[in-house]
Amino acid sequence: MPYHEFDCSKCIPERKKHAVDKGPEDDLTKALPLGYLNTIPGSISERGCAYCGAKHVIGTPMKDVIHISHGPVGCTYDTWQTKRYISDNDNFQLKATFATDVKEKHIVFGAEKLLKQNIIEAFRAYPDIKRMTIYQTCATALIGDDIDAIAQEVMDEMPDVDIFVCNSPGFAGPSQSGGHHKINIAWINNKVGTVEPKITSDYVINYVGEYNIQGDQEVMQDYFRRMGIQILSTFTGNGSYDELRSMHGAHLNVLECARSAEYICNELRVRYGIPRLDIDGFGFEPLSSSLLKIGRFFGIEDRAQKIIDEETARWKPELDWYKERLMGKRVCIWPGGSKLWHWANVIHEEMGVKVVSVYTKFGHQGDMEKGIARCEQGALAIDDPNELESLEAMYKLKPDVIFTGKRPGEVAKKIRVPYLNAHAYHNGPYKGYEGWVRFARDIYNAIYSPIHQLSYLDISRDDIPGDGGFRTQRMISDVNLSQEVRTSKNLREYTGKYDTISPLREKTYPEFNK
Amino acid sequence: MNCELITKERAGVINPIFTCQPAGAQFASIGIKECIGIVHGGQGCVMFVRLLISQHLKESFEIASSSVHEDGAVFGALNRVEEAVDVLLMRYPDVKVIPIITTCSTEVIGDDIDGVVIKLQEELLNTKYAGREVHLIPIHCPSFVGSMIHGYDTAVRDFVKYFAEKGETNGKINLLTGWVNPGDVTALKHLLAEMQVDATVLFEIESFDSPLMPDGNHTSHGNTTIADLKDTANAIGTLALNKYEGAKAAQYLEKEFDIPTIIGPTPIGIRNTDTFLKNLKRMTGKPIPESLVRERGIALDAITDLAHMFLADKKVAIYGNPDLVIGLAEFCLDLEMKPKLLLLGDDNLSYAEDPRIKALQENVDYDMEIVMNADLWDLEGRIKDGLELDLILGHSKGRFVAIDYNIPMVRVGFPTYDRAGLYRHPVVGYAGAIWLAEEMANTLFADMEYKRNKEWVLNVW
Repeated sequence: MPYHEFDCSKCIPERKKHAVDKGPEDDLTKALPLGYLNTIPGSISERGCAYCGAKHVIGTPMKDVIHISHGPVGCTYDTWQTKRYISDNDNFQLKATFATDVKEKHIVFGAEKLLKQNIIEAFRAYPDIKRMTIYQTCATALIGDDIDAIAQEVMDEMPDVDIFVCNSPGFAGPSQSGGHHKINIAWINNKVGTVEPKITSDYVINYVGEYNIQGDQEVMQDYFRRMGIQILSTFTGNGSYDELRSMHGAHLNVLECARSAEYICNELRVRYGIPRLDIDGFGFEPLSSSLLKIGRFFGIEDRAQKIIDEETARWKPELDWYKERLMGKRVCIWPGGSKLWHWANVIHEEMGVKVVSVYTKFGHQGDMEKGIARCEQGALAIDDPNELESLEAMYKLKPDVIFTGKRPGEVAKKIRVPYLNAHAYHNGPYKGYEGWVRFARDIYNAIYSPIHQLSYLDISRDDIPGDGGFRTQRMISDVNLSQEVRTSKNLREYTGKYDTISPLREKTYPEFNK
Repeated sequence: MNCELITKERAGVINPIFTCQPAGAQFASIGIKECIGIVHGGQGCVMFVRLLISQHLKESFEIASSSVHEDGAVFGALNRVEEAVDVLLMRYPDVKVIPIITTCSTEVIGDDIDGVVIKLQEELLNTKYAGREVHLIPIHCPSFVGSMIHGYDTAVRDFVKYFAEKGETNGKINLLTGWVNPGDVTALKHLLAEMQVDATVLFEIESFDSPLMPDGNHTSHGNTTIADLKDTANAIGTLALNKYEGAKAAQYLEKEFDIPTIIGPTPIGIRNTDTFLKNLKRMTGKPIPESLVRERGIALDAITDLAHMFLADKKVAIYGNPDLVIGLAEFCLDLEMKPKLLLLGDDNLSYAEDPRIKALQENVDYDMEIVMNADLWDLEGRIKDGLELDLILGHSKGRFVAIDYNIPMVRVGFPTYDRAGLYRHPVVGYAGAIWLAEEMANTLFADMEYKRNKEWVLNVW
């Protein structure tokens, strides 16, 4: 059996089928861990709740909206300013957050009146914003407030505003994933089709499952615009509320994160006949084939090819500089739901690293299927990992770097495994050709940190080298490189700027004949 | 009267200053050694609070969830607590203390955690874990009451109440620090050491500024032990530095074990630190040593260089934990600054009775507003309406007010994730007074240079 039994989890046998080692002969029918099942209480799992999946992951990246949570203040506070989904309207959605501040008397007597007061106050505080999303929380779900009715009442009284309600309390499902599903379905049921699309091109897409982490959406948007494609809406990073109401007018749904947003794509196909095309903005090859697929769909393959040629010529020498230096390094891809399969394989192919483990906090079996298929033999795949299992895995696998969240990253740091933030990125964006080089650069900087090397020295026992006052990264990374690689004229370190997104916002695009 | 005490008029919260009760209880729980709390509710109540505290301390630590899902919300979720306790005890053999912290959801559905604790004690602990020291402590934290401040205060009281046990007098004092940073604990312990006072520090979180060691040490934890907590009943006195964070525990010890108690003042600034030392002296009979006279002198010397030249008349807004806000306001006044706006982020009705607030109301001779149940919109809205400020003092969640309105800001309180290493620096004691005054001055200096606002003044300072 390929199941991997952790020593620390022997006492909870139900964990046994949640991890597998990918062996040489195993196929997916044998080597697929269980997924998306109830969390084992007290296991110190890393999962969040369905409220955060709906509000924090998918709802809040919408940029021109008052995001209000109906409940006690904590849900709002705790999910505020913990992500890096930026926008081109001065990050309103990052800066302002709203809570109805439900108190004991409201729990007893109901909080609907309070909610209405809140809605009115919020629109008054930000008179330029006319759109709102309301998120239910555990407390208001349990007392049974009719949020939809209050929202309708306000919309009847204030005709210039529009309100979306998402009923996804924290307990609704084993993880954040339950919330992704609920908000997808609520949006298509209640909002899609309520605004007529403004079509400006022959080629119109919805860009779905993209959250503009450090500007990912804007990088991809740049490619689409260079191809003359109109992005009718983005679900939801840097996305606009009214544009998302007109999703039904697109010719194609281009889907990035299939974990969090495939539901709405599937519904758009069923209800409006819009086809779904899964793409991948990470990595040169997957990105190039994604652009080509879209190009082929619209019959504008040449425009895609032009971008691919330009971008590859510009950035490939820089990617390869890092590939030479990252060859064989052991990495764990430990993200939330989908990046394990977005990154596995392509990171091996294009950066030369070895994927020794993948995990997913809230992914389903389908995510594992793709992830395991793409990672190297011998890799350990874990569903719904917990604190002790992650530690045991790191001690056993001895990775050179892991990609995970901020807090687990602190655990890794202490046992001298550097980490990169898989959710928010270190120095992103990581999508796009340049972004992929930035990712490689971050990995290189993490692994070849001279300070990191010093953390292995025990000055009370070991021989202190005392052979110089510094090391550069190159002095460490280039030790075993051939002269040819070290001095290659075809390779170069990353040459981009710190902020790659602001210039995109100033850019103008060629007109294509309709 | 120039100093007005008002309550926010709006019903809702725009950009909150505090989170809810369970976060406070969780912060208290990580101060105890061999303790892993179980938060009884949805998983987000733990996952995000761990992230929040971890962002602030740049450390990791363990807190578990009972992972209440839909079935639990409908049918009751006590079985999840039972399973969580068992799983935790099986996998963490060193764990002895398990607070069970409720949340809004499990309070609304009415899960009887006190009952389940008795049941677990009788069944699970007496059979499967017979012979193992385990303490299950129910802590009620309905998120719709009070705030994280209230949750911290309640949890500290509940821990003390559970453990405190009368024995021989130990000659020590109990020092309840309130919600502070590792750097504050270091500064307080330093003052105690100079005074040669033996104290039980609750909670001993100095260790959260933890090292990266050659042998690997994967999580950080507090160092307050069960023995420390038991022994709180045998102290010669209790000093609770903060009225709203820890005073409940002090009052319990006073009532139950007749332990003399002094609550406050928060030792922020020279004057409040002097009072702290006076209280220590009063409680223990120990004299204030020459070394502290000298240390105080160093602080006065440093601050004199700054106060009347740079800090005087600077208009400040302050938000955050109530004792911190009041302490900072008092220190700012001593520095000749003008705190214009104080924001207290919850609806605690007793703020109006706080003698420190009353003293401000009686003595402040310019316009000052103190807003209760405040949010950060109370700051931003006033700035939009023309409130002029030279400086903001507050935690990182208000960073965009400072950024968008171009007002220099000193990060202070919890959380301060957008500045490096602040958890290491004290705001209490003479060391804290120096740090605060110099940090405020340096922040103003950087702002003068950035805005080209008489930046040449510093040529000859």
